Amino acid sequence: MGSIRFDKVDKVFGPLTGGVKALDSIDLEIAEKEFVAIVGPSGCGKTTCLRMVAGFEAPSAGVVSVNGKKVTAPGPDRAVVFQQFALFPWKTVRENIDLGLRNKGLAKSERDERIASALRLMNLESHADAFPHQLSGGMQQRVAIARAYVLDPEVLLMDEPFGALDAQTRVVMQEELVRLARVNPRTVLFITHAVEEAVYLADRVAVMTRRPGRIKEILDIRSVREAENWDRHQKIEDVMDLESFVHLRTQIWKSLREEKGPLGV
Amino acid sequence: MMGRKGLASLTSVAAALLLWFVVTTLTGLVSPGRFPSPAEFWQSLVQIATRGYAGAPLLAHAVQSLKLVLLGFAVAVATGVPLGLWMGWSRRAEAAINPVFLLIRPIPPLAWIPLAILWLGLGDAAKIMVIWFAAFVPSVINAFAGVRAIDRPMIEAARMLGTPRWRLVREVIAPAASPMIFTGLRLSLQASWTTLVAAELVGALLGIGFVLNVAQQDIYPGMILVGMVTVGLLGWATTWLLAMAEQRALAWNMAARD
Repeated sequence: MGSIRFDKVDKVFGPLTGGVKALDSIDLEIAEKEFVAIVGPSGCGKTTCLRMVAGFEAPSAGVVSVNGKKVTAPGPDRAVVFQQFALFPWKTVRENIDLGLRNKGLAKSERDERIASALRLMNLESHADAFPHQLSGGMQQRVAIARAYVLDPEVLLMDEPFGALDAQTRVVMQEELVRLARVNPRTVLFITHAVEEAVYLADRVAVMTRRPGRIKEILDIRSVREAENWDRHQKIEDVMDLESFVHLRTQIWKSLREEKGPLGV
Repeated sequence: MMGRKGLASLTSVAAALLLWFVVTTLTGLVSPGRFPSPAEFWQSLVQIATRGYAGAPLLAHAVQSLKLVLLGFAVAVATGVPLGLWMGWSRRAEAAINPVFLLIRPIPPLAWIPLAILWLGLGDAAKIMVIWFAAFVPSVINAFAGVRAIDRPMIEAARMLGTPRWRLVREVIAPAASPMIFTGLRLSLQASWTTLVAAELVGALLGIGFVLNVAQQDIYPGMILVGMVTVGLLGWATTWLLAMAEQRALAWNMAARD
């Protein structure tokens, strides 16, 4: 369970006022428990792809489906982690994580158990009763990830989740996410403009063109990772030094560079 | 312990009282027929507090005014905030209600007094209705603006978590809009006091506005000042209570702003 499929998906914004075509015939299949990252120049519509899987936006043409079922509305089977965290500042960490469980109508004892294990998973145990504003950005994003994971979603949608974090925190969170993916693998759609992050985290990386966004190429990272045994390295900088990593990164960089406008932006 | 700021306010209050004493009593710059001296003010206060004035002691007048303000304010908040939230949330509700609201809004609340008296007579109900009209508008507008200012991802996060409609309103929309809602409540409370005195001036047999009215007819500056000061103190006290409630309710927000 947990496959995602884009079938000839177009998206036009403001169709009544002439319209801007944001996405052009997107075809993409993400298998169960696969981690796919989409990279692309800003404004290429990569976030729109994620928002359509989440059910926040509807395609103008084509179909987005999860487990073969057309997406029509947001729901807890597709948990989203937002770039700006989007925590509820008047709720404590525990209450933030609890909301989705209460919405599912679970009994208090089961909720407490699941919250405890989510807190443990994200190393948040000592902050359960803190309010979001008392936490650093990295900690807040841990809460948002815990809030998503606790729902046991089939699909995890991450929209530039580390984009608002400083460089060091970002690295820690990336390593954390790899650890999570091993402990508790999920189908993940990950949006980023950071090429290294995509190569480090994903099984496959989809590169998008400038607007109107199309999928330009899809690179298989997983086979290289397994062949070169990247996982023997604990630290992200060691992986990033490997020749196979550098090669993939450069390949994606070149592909993205072709998409820059005449002024290089 | 009193800080520098407390000391400064105390000094300025003392200076104002001294100036009052100097211009009315020491020098006679202002004649007692126009503005009372501190001694006259004190005599008037003692008179209304012990023997009563305008048919009742000060406490009875004050309680009556406070009751009307709190009732009018409560009705205004209980109707205005939900309406504002609803208009903020639903474009359809906004489209349906806003034109009527914009049409009624420019009518000064006091202009409703004749109609209110015609409908409800000279009793409390008419005054509560006028206060309601005055206090209603800021409650609606600020709750509405509060909802519109909510960050979209916050609402999307709640929907993604499968939050049912009423829980969404109670636990996400209302708290997210609450800083603006409290701004609306403050303005509503202010409007309530302003309108109360005017409504009581027109027709009442009890209340601070009535005291002011009778004192004016009696050409009694000392008592007029007592009435003014009483309204001022009551207004200040209720505003302070509201601020305390706000501080408690918005503890998460205050801390976030530090």
